[in-house]
Parts: sequence; structure tokens; C-alpha cells
Amino acid sequence: MSISKETAMDHLKDPAVLCCRAEGGITLQASNLEDPDLFPDYEDSGLLELPDDVLNIEQVLGATLKDTTDALLPLTPDMVDNIQSPSDDSNDDSDKDDSEDNSTDDTADNANSDASVATSTDQSAQNAAQTVTPVITSGTTSNGVIKIDIAKGEGIHLEVPTNASTTSIPNQSNQKVVNDSTTENAVANNNDNNNDSADNNATADTDDNNPDEVQTKVVRELERDHFKITEVKFGDKTEINGTTLTIRTPKDLCKEAVETEKIVQDMTLEIITPDDYDKYSETIMDVQPIATKAEGEIGSGVTRVLDGAVFVLTGTDENGIQIGEFGSSEGEMNKNIMWNRPGSPDKGDIMIKAQVTIDAGRNMERIGPLSSHKAADIITQEIREALKKADDSLIVNKEKLVQKRHPNQKRVVIVKEIMGQGAMHDNLIMPVEPVGTLGAKPNVDLGNLPIMLSPLEVLDGGIHALTCIGPASKETSRHYWREPMVLEAMNDEDIDLVGVLFVGSPQANTEKFYVSKRLGMTIEAMDVDGAIVTTEGFGNNHIDFASHLEEIGKRGVPVVGMTYSAVQGQLVVGNKYMDAMVDNNKSAQGIENEIFENNTLCPEDAIRAMAMLETKMAGGKIEKPERKWNPNVKENNIKVIEKHDNIKIEEEPNEQSLPKSKKRIEIYEKE
Amino acid sequence: MEKVTILLKQHVGKPDKPLVEVGQRVKRGELIAEPVGLGANIHTSLTGTVEDITDDAIIIDADEDQCKEDFVHIPDSDDYLTDIENAGIVGAGGAGFPTSVKLSNKIPGGYLIANAAECEPLLCHNTQVEERYADQIVRGMKYLLEITDAKVGYIAVKKIHHAAVLALGKACKNEPKIQVKFLTNMYPAGDERVIVRQLLGVVLKPGELPIKAHAIIQNTETIKRVAEAIELRKPFIDKDITLDGRIKERSTVFENVPIGLPAKKFIDAAGGYINPHGDITVGGPFTGHTGKESTPVTKTTGAFLVAMPYPQVHKKIGLLECECGGQEPRLREIAKKMGSEVVAFQRCKRMVLVNGRYRCSLPGICPGQADAVLAMKKKGAESILTGTCQD
Repeated sequence: MSISKETAMDHLKDPAVLCCRAEGGITLQASNLEDPDLFPDYEDSGLLELPDDVLNIEQVLGATLKDTTDALLPLTPDMVDNIQSPSDDSNDDSDKDDSEDNSTDDTADNANSDASVATSTDQSAQNAAQTVTPVITSGTTSNGVIKIDIAKGEGIHLEVPTNASTTSIPNQSNQKVVNDSTTENAVANNNDNNNDSADNNATADTDDNNPDEVQTKVVRELERDHFKITEVKFGDKTEINGTTLTIRTPKDLCKEAVETEKIVQDMTLEIITPDDYDKYSETIMDVQPIATKAEGEIGSGVTRVLDGAVFVLTGTDENGIQIGEFGSSEGEMNKNIMWNRPGSPDKGDIMIKAQVTIDAGRNMERIGPLSSHKAADIITQEIREALKKADDSLIVNKEKLVQKRHPNQKRVVIVKEIMGQGAMHDNLIMPVEPVGTLGAKPNVDLGNLPIMLSPLEVLDGGIHALTCIGPASKETSRHYWREPMVLEAMNDEDIDLVGVLFVGSPQANTEKFYVSKRLGMTIEAMDVDGAIVTTEGFGNNHIDFASHLEEIGKRGVPVVGMTYSAVQGQLVVGNKYMDAMVDNNKSAQGIENEIFENNTLCPEDAIRAMAMLETKMAGGKIEKPERKWNPNVKENNIKVIEKHDNIKIEEEPNEQSLPKSKKRIEIYEKE
Repeated sequence: MEKVTILLKQHVGKPDKPLVEVGQRVKRGELIAEPVGLGANIHTSLTGTVEDITDDAIIIDADEDQCKEDFVHIPDSDDYLTDIENAGIVGAGGAGFPTSVKLSNKIPGGYLIANAAECEPLLCHNTQVEERYADQIVRGMKYLLEITDAKVGYIAVKKIHHAAVLALGKACKNEPKIQVKFLTNMYPAGDERVIVRQLLGVVLKPGELPIKAHAIIQNTETIKRVAEAIELRKPFIDKDITLDGRIKERSTVFENVPIGLPAKKFIDAAGGYINPHGDITVGGPFTGHTGKESTPVTKTTGAFLVAMPYPQVHKKIGLLECECGGQEPRLREIAKKMGSEVVAFQRCKRMVLVNGRYRCSLPGICPGQADAVLAMKKKGAESILTGTCQD
């Protein structure tokens, strides 16, 4: 299929192959050329072989084809007259004016990584981006400020007297960051990903004062007081003594809880110690930290939290149908739970596991999961009350979480798409107690419209998650409590995290687009420099996920998407703004194998997303991924980032570290 | 179960002579008619009882239970050409020329070309078959290369059929004698003379056959049926067809449907009509003809297309005939159904009379029509109806 001029510009260095039979004597244009993205397929089918001397696209645009030539033949020097030399100024193609003059040549590439050149008195910043699109440079001087705007460019040579600017030179590197979500493209290459700050590159407005120095403004602080629990037992009264949590006789407690909700028929409570990990459990609906406010409201003040014990909610209807959709994680816990994910129990945690039974057939109705959560919260609330009363001396660790703004840095917003289709696909936003239910509003009732939370509100239990899609990719309440993307962004001094915007994913397409248009307008008004959009699950929600990225991207805001995708979660829709995607997949096969929390967003993903966003915000490009899901793309990205930032990124283990579950043996990894 | 209408003429030549009697039991794949002179064997596509034999057709009352995998095999032979003849294979692309006759020409050093153009608009069964059965088509081509002594086999395909192109490319990747070649994306790229011109650079005169350029061209479905005959001993009793137009499930392909079943069965299977609807066209929009709900599938049926109702154009119109589109009788039929009065008739200036039939001298490279248009205007034509292909 022939390509457009724009596509040709994106592929100037790629081989030139005729897309269709072309007559001798014509002047070659983009419309005569095949899309380089299709080459792998053609090569695979034996229909195309690229010789070593094949010309690249920028060499043939404007050149003359000697003889009539068939489709899918690579253009070599003997077939073409008037081969274009990109560094040649004499270009008579009226279509492309100054853009070609700025295209790259070999010397630009060389200078690019040469640090000594960069720091010499003639500060020269050479940027060899692969894409050459029209470069707009306007140099104006006023009030002693030189303002240079460069949309995109390469081979740009700037000379500025040393005493006139304090701009430091970006530590340029030719790193490649590749979009690692299968269906998505994009990629990268010569980013000016610099260590100092994203502001310090050619694309920046040279603001004023010394941008090397990170300005910090503390917005608010949150203290987490940790109470260590080593034993949980049942007794007469719910209380915390030393490191022992006693919970009131479950029969009475559960009865009280069941009575609060009409459709909840029964509830049992079980204490799971590490010795019991091989026991059977129904599908896990949620994992919740047990925490309570000691001072202030959610997102500030002091929160008390139990370490070593978590609340786990499971359930079925009275016919034994799991309260879940698209998979469920029932089975022996040690085979079905991916321990230590942000949203999982950690290995060693004691689980206080409630099992709820609801009226038959209500599992897929909104009231079913909601009632289960509310009833179970009666129990957690009783523990919270005990935690409030616990003696200060039992605090083992006071953790300080600080929300800072960095006014000189690029403003970044995190957009978290949460499920809002109804039934279990709902989230309670901003309860009174951390991960409580009281006082919270379901995002479904809020019309799934964007709601802004501060990063500390997110990390302080501001989201009570009902969401219950694929067990491997759903974000539990504990996930938000330890949300890696929020933590990564909040602690990154190179950006200015403005907040975390939650947007629900409604069921109907019309509502999806309604919501994402509002999101786009919100982003526009916020005037941010970059955005990261995350989602959980896959399939239906990818429609609005893609639309969110589009609404943000089309407003000129660099945006990175994060989702589980890989094989099974391949994006069903896409658009040109989805050129920087992070795949949260961890499973070896790239599938939803119903291992609880396996494919959720982890710190390693957050680091990659941040690297992509910084690359994009600095004007770099993200390379296109391979056509099929290939786990090596992620590995390579990790290596690139490790090398560039001189850090070690810990990769999470996956299901292969667990004994095989029944479903893995029988369905996913049959031998 | 249902009536199967097996036409006695599904090929170039005279109608076949029935070999069965009314009341006789016949098994799927059984030979029921044989050619008189030029023609091809005809087999029943379903098991049942012969209910009627008319001048045109053998009507079979098919049994309720049918097994598609089970059929009477063609006689054993060690000669591919005999297999093809026994299987009753004819050009499935629409022409219906007996394949064994065409292949009896040896073309040493010549070109065996698989016509994978899927030339007519809307039709898509060939493309789909090429995607799914590329290997079978390539194997069929190897048999044809052997039969004809051709030095090389080309698969002529439009590049726009991306998936088919890739599948065919893969299938012949390791076949040194078979290559994929591209046709331009236009109608009538699948015309034999256009293929010869584009692939071999030889311009055939109107009426000349590809053999003149040392080429034999076979439609891909024909080649698939050849492979079936040789490998599975299966006679030509099933057909691939496209259903499209004003039906609920547009672009539906039915693979291997028993020959003899009526159009309505497939219209229903594709969700039924979208009302209002017009005529049923049998074959492609350009070269098809008007059919009925009872029109049976034959060896050359490519499609059943349900048209919209004819617009009523109560005007004086002129007809402009082109070899690649509807011919004069079809244009007159359409004009009549539109309520138009035909006041003039012209042929495109490329049309030349060859052996009693008007042929185009340069198919696919169309001239201006100013002369013809002015001539018709002179005779009072207010509008023109034409089956031409290019702008």
C-alpha cells in the first residue's frame, strides 16, 4: 500500500521499495513507495528481499525511475537517476522546502555522542533525531532572553555566546526506548533524555533562572504509623495487644455484618497463616490494607496501618458461582496468588479472609459485589476501631510520605482509568477511613467522570476497589495503597506531578467517548506537559483507554499508556497517539492465566513509563515495537534504562515461580 | 431435504446427456451426465433420488442426511489430465471452458498463470480461499506445470489483497518454479489479455488466446479443484461463492457449497434480504446476469448479489457497450427496468468484431468517449447507461 508524505517523513532512513508497478521516467514520490512497516510480512513470505545497496526513502523522493518497474522491488542505485543526497542543498523539489536542508548526515550522528564538543565554548547542541519534519525555528531576542522553538529537528547547530546563557547541555545519548505493548508502535531513538532535567534541552523554553537547581514546594505530608502484627486470633473482644490482633468471635461478628446487607446470606471469617497457604480459597475479590485515620483526613495527617496482616475478601453466590468475571482465582492460594505484587498479600502476611455468600444470581449485578464489600467492611471497621485505641508504644515505624511539587519541571498528570461498567466493576472513591466504604462515592454514580485525587490521597486508601475483571490484571485496594506509578512520579525530581486523575470506564461506547472528551478538556485546561494513562483489565476498557490517549495526545500533550496487553490483551483499537506504550504483562505466555495480580502495574513498569514520558517530553521518539508480542522488547528497554540512568531495575518474578495451579495445568500450560 | 437442480450445461459447449433415470438413487459424487462433444462430466453434489429430468437439468430430491466427506471417487488413473477430465472440471472463474481441453496444450518453456485477481467488485471468495488454501493452490499449480510442461508458474494477484498475497507468497517461497506477480488494482485486471499484457508484456489482439503468448491461465478455484481431483479423487461438485448486496450479512463467503442448491438458500443463510431490494445478480456486477431465487449454483457461479431496487429514470437514454461490462442485452434489460427509453446505442471505439463477437482491443486502458457521447446526444439521449470500467 502506498504511503503518505507524512509516513515517508517518518521513514526517511528506511529502504525504498516500490508499492506498485511504476512507469519509467516518473519522479518518485511517497505515493510510489511501500510502507516499511509491512516489510517484515513481505520478507517473511519471500516476496521481498532487501539487497545491501537498497536506497533509502530520502534518497529516492524526487529521484527519477529509469525503467518501468514492478511492485515490491527494492530501489537500487542502478534503477534510479538523480539520487537525492539529503545533505545536498540543491534541492529542486518544491514540495519540501527547508525541511530537507536540515536533515541529518553522518557527522551529526558522530558529534551527537561527543561530550567534549558539547561542553566546549561553542556550545553546540546537535540533535540527530531520525524524523525530519519541518523545523520551525524562530529566533527572537527580547529582554536578554533568546527564545528558540524547535518542533522537531536534526542536525541543528546552535551557537550562543557562553556568557549569555546558563543553559547546560543535555547529556545526549542515543538510547532506544521501544514501545513495548504489542499492538502499538513506536519508538525511539535519539532522545535527549538527560540526567539533569527535562527542561534542559532544545525544546525547552529557556525560562529564566537556573534550571539545574530543582525547586521544591511541599504541598502536604502524610504519616503512616506501622503496627507490627505477628499473630491473629479469635477471642472475646477485638483488640491489639503487643503484636497480637484478637478478633471478636467470628460467629457474632459475621452475623452482625450479614444483617447490614439484605442480599448477603452468609459470611465466614478465616485466619490464614503462611502455614495455610496451600488451602483452597474462593476467588479473591479484593485485598485491603487494614488502616485507620489517627489524625486528619485521607491524604494528610496520620494514618495507622497493620503490617503483617491484610484483609482478603472472597465470595460466591449461594450456588457457588464465583463473584467474578472473565476468570477467577479460586484454588490453592500458593498456586493462584502472585505474592508481593502491589495489590497482593505479601508472602508471610497473615490473611484475615472473609468469605461472603450472596443471593443466587446476584454476582453479576451491581448490588452483589457492593453488598459483599460493605458487609465485610463492618468487620474491618471493628479492627480499625481497635487500631485507633492501640498504644503509641506499639508503633514500629513512622513513615513519612511527602507530596512535593517541582515548579521548574515539566508538569505531569497520572490518569488512572478504573472500571465503571457496573456490577463488580466499580470503585468507591474517597471514603472516610482508608479503604473504607462509608462516605465514599462509587465512580459509577459519579458518571465515571474524571475525579482528581492528590497522590497522597491515592496512597492513603482513597480508593476502595470493587473491580473484579481478570484476576491477573485487576487493581485491588491494596494496589492503590502501594501504587507504583504514583510513587515513582511523586518521588521523581525531574518532573512535577500535579495529581492523579481517576476516570471510570463506562459500559456503553457513547458514554466512553463522553467521558474521554471531558478528560481531554480537563487535561487541556490543566496545561500539563505530559501524561501517563494507566488501565486495568483488557478488552472493553481498551476502547476508552485508546480514546483517552487520543484526547490527550491530540492536544499536543506527550502521553504514555500502560496496560496489560501482550498476547491475549492485544489492543482492539489504536490511534496515532498511542506511540509510547508500556505493557504490564509479566506472564511467560503473555496471557491472563488467572494468577491473582500477576500482570498488574509494578515498579519496573513505572520506571519504563517514566523513561518513555521523559523521552517524549524531551522531543525524542519511541521506536515502534515488533509486530508480534515479544517479551524481549521490554527486556531491552530495561537494559537501556539501566545503562542510561546507571541503576539496577529489579524485575518481578512471574507465575513460573509458583507451583502450577489447576488451571495452568489443565488450560494454560498443558503439557 | 431439498431440491437440487443440476443444470446440464455448466460449461462451454452443448448441454450434457443425462446418464440417470427418474426414480434412480444417486450418491454424492456419482456421474449423472456426460458431455456431447465439447463439455464436461457432471456429478451429483448430494445423495438422493432423481425426481425429474428436463431438457436443462436433472432435479434431485436430496436425502435428509448428507455426509460432505463421503463421495463417489473418480476412477483411478495415473494420468492427471484424465483425472481432471473425469472430475468434470471447468473454468470456475465464470468462463466454464473444460479444463482438461485447455490443459491438453503443451507449452514447453511457457507460462502457467494462476488468475488470483478477484477482479469483479464485491467478490471475495477467491481471496478468502487463497488465504486459507494457499498450499493447495500451489500444489495444484505444480500438477499443472507437469501437465503443460510450462517452465514457470505465476500467481497473478492484486497487491491490495494483502493477506492473500502473504499467504500465497509463503506457500510458494520454496518453490523455485512458482512466483507471485502483481496486477494493477483496477477492473478488469483479471481479464486474460490484461494478465498476459501486464505479466508477460505481450499485447494480444482481440480474440487471441493467451496460448499465443505461450501462456495458460487458470482461475485459482479451478486450480484448487484440480488438486482435489488428483489428491482426493473428488469430482467438481462443490463451489465457493460470495453473497453480497442487500443482505443482512454483507460479504459472506460460502466455501464448498453443493452445486445445484438455489440462490435463496444462501441469501437466507446470509441473514436474508434487506428490504427493499431489487434483482439478484448471478456473478460479478460487471459480467454477471440477472437471476432468480431459484437459480442454482453451477460450476461457474461466483456470487449471488442482491441489488437495490432500480431507480426510476424516465428519460431518454443512450447505451454504451464495453467488453468488460454488461453487454447490450443486459444494458437494455436494465434500461427497461429503470423505465428509460433507449434512443441510441454505441460501442466503445475499442470494440472490434472478431468471429461474430465484439472484443476490446486494449482492455483496461480506456479511451475517451466524446465521439460516442456526442453521437448519442444527437439522437436525443439525455443520459447514458454504460458498463464501462474506467473513468
